[in-house]
Amino acid sequence: MDIITKVLSTFGVEWPMFIAQVIIFMIVYAVLQKFVFPQVTSMLEERRRRIEEGEANLAKIKSDLESAERKASEIIGDANKQAERMIREATDSAMFAGEKKKQEAVAEAGQIISKAKEASQLEHEKLMAELKRDFGRLLVDTTTKVTGRVLTQEDQDRINKDAVSQVAL
Amino acid sequence: MLDNLPLAAVSVEANSLKFGHWLTNSVLVGALVLCAITWFVRRGMKDATLIPNKKQNVCEFLVEFLYNQVEGIVGKKVAPKAFPLLATMFIFIVVSNWFGLIPGVGTIGWDSHHTSYLTAEHIKTPLLRPATADLNMTLAMALCAFFVWIWITLNELGEHETHGKGGLIIRLVFGFWGFIKHTFAPKGGLTGPIAIPLFFVFLMVGVIELVSIAFRPVSLSLRLLGNIFAGETLLHTMMTLGGALGLGPLGQFVTSVLFPIPFYFMEILVGGLQAVVFTLLCAVYIKLSTTHDDAH
Repeated sequence: MDIITKVLSTFGVEWPMFIAQVIIFMIVYAVLQKFVFPQVTSMLEERRRRIEEGEANLAKIKSDLESAERKASEIIGDANKQAERMIREATDSAMFAGEKKKQEAVAEAGQIISKAKEASQLEHEKLMAELKRDFGRLLVDTTTKVTGRVLTQEDQDRINKDAVSQVAL
Repeated sequence: MLDNLPLAAVSVEANSLKFGHWLTNSVLVGALVLCAITWFVRRGMKDATLIPNKKQNVCEFLVEFLYNQVEGIVGKKVAPKAFPLLATMFIFIVVSNWFGLIPGVGTIGWDSHHTSYLTAEHIKTPLLRPATADLNMTLAMALCAFFVWIWITLNELGEHETHGKGGLIIRLVFGFWGFIKHTFAPKGGLTGPIAIPLFFVFLMVGVIELVSIAFRPVSLSLRLLGNIFAGETLLHTMMTLGGALGLGPLGQFVTSVLFPIPFYFMEILVGGLQAVVFTLLCAVYIKLSTTHDDAH
C-alpha cells in the first residue's frame, strides 16, 4: 500500500486534483451526452429515414414512369391502328366516291352527247327543210322566169316535190 | 556537452497555481478543453438541420465515425451503452493532447523565484500543462472507464443469465455470477476426465485474468501519461537544445524555432494515436467481457 501511495505521490496524484479532473471529465461527458450524441443520432436516423423514403419514392416514380410509358405506348399503338383503319376507310371511301363520280360523269357525258346529237339532228333536219323550201322557191322562180308563165299552185307543189325528192337523193 | 541536458525538462507532476491547491495548471487546461468542446458542439448542434452546416457536419462525421468503430468492436447490442463513454474519452483525449501543442502551453508561466508576473524564460511553474500529461486526469478517465466497464459487463452478463427477466438487482447479481463463470469456468465445452485437470488450469487463468483486469486502469493511465509527458519533454528539450549546445542568443532562438518543428508533427500523430489506443483498448475490454461463450 505504501508503495502505491509513494508512486501516486511521485506522479502528483492527490484527491482534490483527482476529483477535479473526474468532475471535468464527467462534465464533458454530460455536455456531449446532452448536446451532441442524441441530436446527431436522431439527425442521422431522420436522414436515413428520409433517404429510405426518397429511395422508395424513386422506385415508385420509376415504376409509375414505366407504367405510364407502357400505357402511352399502348395508347400510341391503338391510335396508330385506329389511324391506319381510318386512313384505309377514307381511302376506300374516296375510291368509291371517285368511282361513283366517274360513273356519274360518264353518264352525264353520255347524256350530253346524246342531247348534242339530238340537237344536231334537229338542226340538220331544220336546215334541210329550209334548204328544201329555199330550193323549191328558187326553182319555181327560175321556172317562172324561164317559161314566162305564172305557175299554178299545183305546178309549184309538183316542182317542189320533184326538187325535194332529188335533193333528198 | 549534452551531459548537461536534463532528461526531463518539465515536471512529472502538475503544479498548483496560486488560486488554490486543487487548481493545477493541468486542471486549468482540462477546464479550457471542456469549454472549447462545449463551445464547438453548441455552435455545431445549436440549430441542427437536416442539411448540415460545416460545424454540424464535423460533429456528425465524428459521432458517426466513432459509433461505427465502436459498433464494429463491441457489437450492435452493447454499442449504444458503451458509445457515449468511449466517444467522450476519444474526443477529450485528442483535444487535450493537441491542446498541449498550442504555443504557450508549457512555455509561459512563473520562474523559480515565483515572481508575480508571467515569463517565458526559466519556467518553473507553467501556466498551462496538457491535461493528459497529468496522472490525475489519465487515472480519472481510466477509472471512469473501469467502472463503466463493470456496469456494462454485469448488466450484459446478468441479462444473458436471466434471459432478460428480473429487476436491476437480480440482473447485477446474476451478472456477477456470469462474470465468475466467464472468468474461471473451463471454456470450449470440455467434458469427461480431461475437464478435471483443465478446471485448475482455467482457475489459474481466471486469477491471472483478474489481476490483469485490476491493472487495466494503471496500464491505461500510465501509457497515456507516459506518451504525452514524453512528448512534452521532447518538445521542451528540442526548444532548449540550442542553449545546451552552447550557442549564442541568435543561435538559441533559431534552434528553438527549427528543432521542435518535426517533433510537432510527430506529436500531432502521437496525440491522435494515443486517443485511439486508449479508446480502442476500453472497447476491446468491453467486448471481451460481454462476449458469451454460446455466441461463438
